[in-house]
This record gives sequence, structure tokens and C-alpha cells, in this order.
Amino acid sequence: MYLNNVISSVLLLIATSFSITSCAEIPEQFLKSNHSNNWAVLVDTSRFWFNYRHVANVLSIYRSVKRLGIPDSQIILMISDDMACNPRNPRPATIFNNAHEQINVYGDDVEVDYRGYEVSVENFVRLLTGRVPPDTPRSKRLLTDEGSNILIYLTGHGGDGFLKFQDSEEITSQELADALEQMWQKRRYNEIFFIIDTCQASSMYEKFYSPNILATASSLVGEDSLSHHVDSAIGVYIIDRYTYYVLEFLENVHPNSKRSMSEFLAVCPKSACLSTVGVRRDLFKRNPDKVPITDFFGSVRPVIITTDPINILDAPKRKKKPENKTKVPEKREYLPQFPMHLVQNTRTG
Amino acid sequence: MAKQERKGETEESNRMWASASFVGVLIIIGLPLWWKTTEVYRVSLPFDKISSFDTLPHAITTELSVLANDDATATEIIGLIEHAFKDSDVIKLKISKSIISKQLQSTLEFVADEAEAVEEVGVTFDLTQHNSFYVVQRKPLFQDTWLAGDRVLFFRDAKAATTVVETLKRVVYQTAVLEGAKSETADVARQTRFPPGAGYHIVLSVVHPNPEALDVELDAGEAVEDYIGSFVDELSVLHNFTLKSQWLHLLDFDFQAKEVKDTSEWGRHFSVRTERLHLLLTRLEERAATHVSELPTLNLALYAVRCQAAPLIIYDLNDKKVSSPVQAFMSPKWGGVVLGSPSAGDCRHERAIWRPNVRLIMGTFISQLRKLLGITDAEHITGAHLEPLRSVTPRQWEIDNLLRIRTLEQLTSAERTLQSLAQLLGEISNIVINDDVGASINSAVDSIQRASELMQKGDLVEAYKMSQSAFLAAETAFMEPSLLALLYFPDDQKYAIYIPLFLPIMFPVVLSLKNLLLWFRGKPIHKEKTD
Repeated sequence: MYLNNVISSVLLLIATSFSITSCAEIPEQFLKSNHSNNWAVLVDTSRFWFNYRHVANVLSIYRSVKRLGIPDSQIILMISDDMACNPRNPRPATIFNNAHEQINVYGDDVEVDYRGYEVSVENFVRLLTGRVPPDTPRSKRLLTDEGSNILIYLTGHGGDGFLKFQDSEEITSQELADALEQMWQKRRYNEIFFIIDTCQASSMYEKFYSPNILATASSLVGEDSLSHHVDSAIGVYIIDRYTYYVLEFLENVHPNSKRSMSEFLAVCPKSACLSTVGVRRDLFKRNPDKVPITDFFGSVRPVIITTDPINILDAPKRKKKPENKTKVPEKREYLPQFPMHLVQNTRTG
Repeated sequence: MAKQERKGETEESNRMWASASFVGVLIIIGLPLWWKTTEVYRVSLPFDKISSFDTLPHAITTELSVLANDDATATEIIGLIEHAFKDSDVIKLKISKSIISKQLQSTLEFVADEAEAVEEVGVTFDLTQHNSFYVVQRKPLFQDTWLAGDRVLFFRDAKAATTVVETLKRVVYQTAVLEGAKSETADVARQTRFPPGAGYHIVLSVVHPNPEALDVELDAGEAVEDYIGSFVDELSVLHNFTLKSQWLHLLDFDFQAKEVKDTSEWGRHFSVRTERLHLLLTRLEERAATHVSELPTLNLALYAVRCQAAPLIIYDLNDKKVSSPVQAFMSPKWGGVVLGSPSAGDCRHERAIWRPNVRLIMGTFISQLRKLLGITDAEHITGAHLEPLRSVTPRQWEIDNLLRIRTLEQLTSAERTLQSLAQLLGEISNIVINDDVGASINSAVDSIQRASELMQKGDLVEAYKMSQSAFLAAETAFMEPSLLALLYFPDDQKYAIYIPLFLPIMFPVVLSLKNLLLWFRGKPIHKEKTD
């Protein structure tokens, strides 16, 4: 009887321990992302010299995603103003994150896709929804598909429910939410990580209603997002607090590091940012603790080794279409230096 | 006094008529006009047809002829095939049965090899027809079944029936891939092949990092024309292709290869890890400038490894040498790369010259292109023999199946796009649907229905073309720039625009309504004043 009890209790113990382990294990697909490519849309919406810091912000993120592996062809960079070549810049062709010139975020090659007045609400929404004019080159299109993870970073001046573009227009949170919904319906993304560094930033993601979006903002509604420090050499604020700490964090991330998204979301505590960093995770299915930061900042590019070349027996010869190539070399001559033949009429008349 | 009163009355009536006309213009003409002109313009759309897409049949009818020596064998084979394809919602077999004539039977048993036997079958039956397939009995066969590039599968006898069914299901029709083409989430094949489109741009870039030390003797243009050109000509029923080749000089890439000693002629080789390879793609993209084309680009790159770093060999994730006659890799939806190393003999010359093995390199590119364009490689089935591919030409039944895959994929995609658009029109009120977009949507709906009919009829090529026009029309409709015409006029801000405009005018008009009503009823308005 006693033995029986022992056996049954042992069995029970084993059974419970088994059930515990099976419960504790989250199925693989919840952990692993099933994205097949990475894109980044980085936007600085404000121009003029006193907004130097916004250009520094967006280039900080650009530098990081590029370093972590997203190719330039999959980064859409929108910058409203050219601070590096601004005549007021005492150190031309550089943009620094710090008055001590620690990191030159301008780097060696920056590929700007939309610049100056091209950075408009219209172009931004067209880019997201894919409704670009038909003559747009492929490098200015967001050619994402159902397997794309997209990082969207916006910086500029904002208010409750809007983000100002170029001092003349603004995008509202509703328009942004609708654009993202249209992307979702057209299967243009797998997951989106949305970052915004403006005043009252969290108001921009409150209206989102499409699934698979993780959003974070540098400040809550009613708060200002503050800049970090002034560089007396250039005379303006050099970078915003939130992005300053983000860059500091990202500089220590490597393409195969295992840091998680929740570490990124906690990157700027209130003591450092002075504003409260807002996070919205109800639309996002995965647990940010388990999502590696490289799912959004890095790039997956699956590579398949080819081991089965076709053993071609006889070399094919394509039937050439008859080309009427003339053997006579084309006669070339210089144009007259001044097109007199065009003004002949006036001379005679 | 009376004169003054009368004057006051006329003034009064003038004033009243004036304010009545203001009311008339603003409320009776102005408001409806405002309402009408600010309406979001939308053409009426066939929503009922769009919502009924799910009930359209999506199975492709395809012809299968079973030719056997005797009736019993044919019946048994057909019974098994019918059973296996009974539940399929992607493919519907129209099986016809016939007995092989005595003459053909003896010829088939007489001829020595299978290729000749196929020719003999081709004399009696038309093997060039798309969407048809022949399962033919041939007694002297070493395996259960035999399959090559033509639309003929030989089988030995009734005992091979299960192998026949497996071959049909997993090699000839590849029902799993067909189902993947219309599934919600992308399967492996869909993740690899390019999304459907009317045309593709194929660019071969020969990457030559140090032209000063190594000569590469290769006519890239001719190689592309002959090999890739002959290959894509076979697929001309599906897409248009433009071919290009270019040389990229002085584009160096640091493979971070490690030197490993071995017993080859070189006495060494350099190992490059698989994790490093995707960075080469990024490096190539910087210079290849392939996105200048409007069409999606399939990138092919031949990287000429410099003598100091040759031979370069890819090591897999387990740090093992990849055993392959060629060092090559591909990236899904991007293209393929071949790493070509000159031999020790080539580099010993004072002026090193490398003559690439064009046939091998092009064979590799073709193998990669097949997968990128959607031809999936068949898995091996025990007892079934599949003749390996020996030329650039794809197998006939592979083209048929590619047509089926693309038809299903395009049709499903067009349907989903239209359904999404219909749903978005309900959700977001300021999307404009102008006449052009309306026409695109209507033509897409019509094409979808026509394609569905053609699929049922078994007219594969026409169904493909119809599904392609449906796909393109649906994409144009969804991506049409004019859908955003009211972008700067969002619904939630309409009142912010109108109230400052209309309030100053409407305010006095509304206030004068009371006086106007009183006056019309003939009551004196300014009682106190007359005292």
C-alpha cells in the first residue's frame, strides 16, 4: 500500500514536472520571426539650421541600421535639409552626435532618397501605401512584401495628434494609422517597429489599429521631448535626448548580438530623457523580451548554397534575330558653335 | 407721418426680401451644392461580385491519358490516381483511358532506350499540347516509372501504380506547391521565387576585382544571349524578359577567408563562411545599379576571385566544406552568385589568364534561375526514375506546372487585392475611386471570372493570360496614385476647414430666420419702435 502510494506520487510528480516543462516552453513560431527581409524608413521632417538636431537624429539611426546590415537599397531616407553642407556648418561634410565630436553620423556615404522639398506628407504617405507616380524609380519605392519587417523612424516637431512637415503641413495620427492599415491590407509588411522622437510623440501611435506594430515614442502626450546639449561651435542644439541615448545603446549592438527589444524600449529612463518614453505593445503579437533587436535593426538575407548546377551537354545557340547592322560607320561632325541656321530667317528678313 | 410710415414699410419689406433671398441662396442652393461638391467621388463598384470570389472554383482542369497494354491495368491505375486526386482543390484531372494498339505495343517493347520510345509515342499522340500528360505502359523498364523532359511517364506494370500516383502528385503536378501558391502564408517556394509580374530584367554582372593582375577571357554578352536567352525563350509564354550583361571592375569584397592547407595542386584553399556571403550581395548592389530598370531585376553575378585568394571554397554553417562542382549561392527574390576561382595553372603564367568554364557557370545560373522563376526541383521518389536535366531547356511538364502555379498565384493575389480594397473603402472614407480606377477594378473582376471559367475548361495558357491581366489590373487599381487625391483633405479635419469659412455668413442668416418668419405671417416686427 505504502509502496503503491510512493509510486503514484512519484508518477504524479513526473507528470506535473512534464506538464510544467511543456507549459513553460513557448512554441517556436512565437519566438522566431518569420520575416524574410528588412526595410527601414527614416524621416526627418524639419528644415532650417536651428533644426540641426533632427538631421543628427535621423542620421544616427541611419548609421546604426546600415552598420547592422540593412543595405542602402532597403533604406528609404528622407531628409528635409542638408546640414552637412550648410554654409553655417563650421565643419563641412560632418554631422556629429556630440559636442565632443565622438561620432560623425554623416559617415562616408549617405544615400538620401527624398531630400529638401520632396519630404512632404504626400510623398511620405505615397511611399508607405505604394501609390507613387508611375515614373518613380525603384530606389524611391518601398518594395516590401508580406515577409518584410519595417523600421519606421520619424523625427521633427510635433503636437498632440500631428507631426509637422517642413513648416507648412502636417500629418495627423489618423492619416498615419490609415496608411499603415492600407499597408497591412495589401500585405506590405510582416511587422513594423515604429519609433517617433518629437514632442507629444505618443499621440502619433494612439490611433493605430493594424496588427503587428510595436510602437515607441520619446514622450507622452502633454510632454515635450527635449534636446541633449548645445554645441557652442555651431550654436544650436546638436541632438535630441532620446535619440542620443538610442545611438549610445545601438553602438554596442552587433549584427549577431542577442539583445532584446525590451532592452531597446527601456533605453532612455526618465532620469536621462526628462520625458517619459511611451510604448504601445497591444498590437504586437510577440513578447518584446523574446524579440532580438536585430529583427528590426539588422537584416536577414537568406543565402542558399547551390550544389546542383545543370550539366549542360551541348552549348545552346540562340537563334539570333536578323539585325540590320550597317557596316558603314556613322558619320559624325561637330555642331556649329553658334546655331546660325536657326536664326537665318531673321537675318534675311 | 404716413408717408414716413409707408417708407418704413417698403424699406422693411425690401430688407425682408433681401434676407429671404440670402436664406434662399445659402440654404436652398448653397447647402446641397456644398454637399454634392464635397462628396468623395466614387464610381459604383461590383461589391457583390468581389465578395463572392471565395465561392468561385479555383481548381485547374488538366488532361491525363492513361495508355496501358490491357484494360485491367489501365482501370487499376486510373482508380488509384482518381482516389489520390479526389480531394484536391487545386487540380481536377480529366482522365481518359485507352489501350495501346498492338503495333505501338510491340514497337515500345522493341526499341532499346526510353528516349526512342518517347518519340514513338509522339508519333501517335500529340505531346506538344500544354496541360496534357500521358502515362504509358512500357514493359521492359528497369524501374517502376521513368520520366524525362516530355509529357510522358512510362510505367512497367500494374504493380507500379503507387509509384505512378506518387510521381504524378509530387513531381509532375506538385500539388503541395500549387496549394502553397494560393495559401495565406508564403511557403518555401513562394519565398524563393519572384512575385508574379509581366516581365523581368536579367542582368549578369561579371565582377572583376583586380583587372591589372588577371585577365578574364569571357564573352559575357554572348554567354547571356546563348544560354540565358535560350532558357528564357522557353518561358516566353509566361513573361517577357530583357537580358543585359555588364562588367564591374575594381569591386573588391573582403571575404575574410581563412587559408587551409590541403593536397590539391595549390596546396591550399581559402574558406569563406556562409554567414559572410550575404554581405557580398550588399556590396554588389552598391555598384550593380540594377534598380534602374522599371522591371524587377534578377541579379546574376560571376565573381572572379583574385589569384592570391584562390581557390575560394564555401564552408557551411557546420564549418564543413560544401561538396559541389561549383562554388555558388543564391538569395531568394534577389538572384545568384558564382564564385569563380582561376586554377593554379592559370595563375602560374606571368600574365595570369582565366578562361571560365562557361558551360558549368551558365549551368549554375540556369539552375538558380529556375528556382527564382518558380520551377521547384522535384524530390526523389523510390522506384521512380527522373532523367537528369542535360540542357538549358526546362522540361515540358515543368512549364505546364509553372503556368498552373502562376495562374493560381495571380488569381488569388488579384482577389485578395480587390477584397482588401473593398474593405478599405468601408473603413477609410476619403479614398477616391475615379473612373479609371473603377474601370481597372471592373476589368479585374471580369478577368478573374473569365480566368476561373478557363481554368475549369482546361485552357491553361489562356487562363494564365487572363489571370495575369486580372492581377495587373488589380495592382494598378490598388496602387493608383489618384486614390490619395483627398490626402490633404482628411475627413476628421473637414469641419476645421468649413467652420471658419461658413460661420461668419451663416450666423446672421440663421438669426434673420426668426424675423423673416414673423414678417411672412404678417405680424409687426418692431412693435415698440412705432410707439
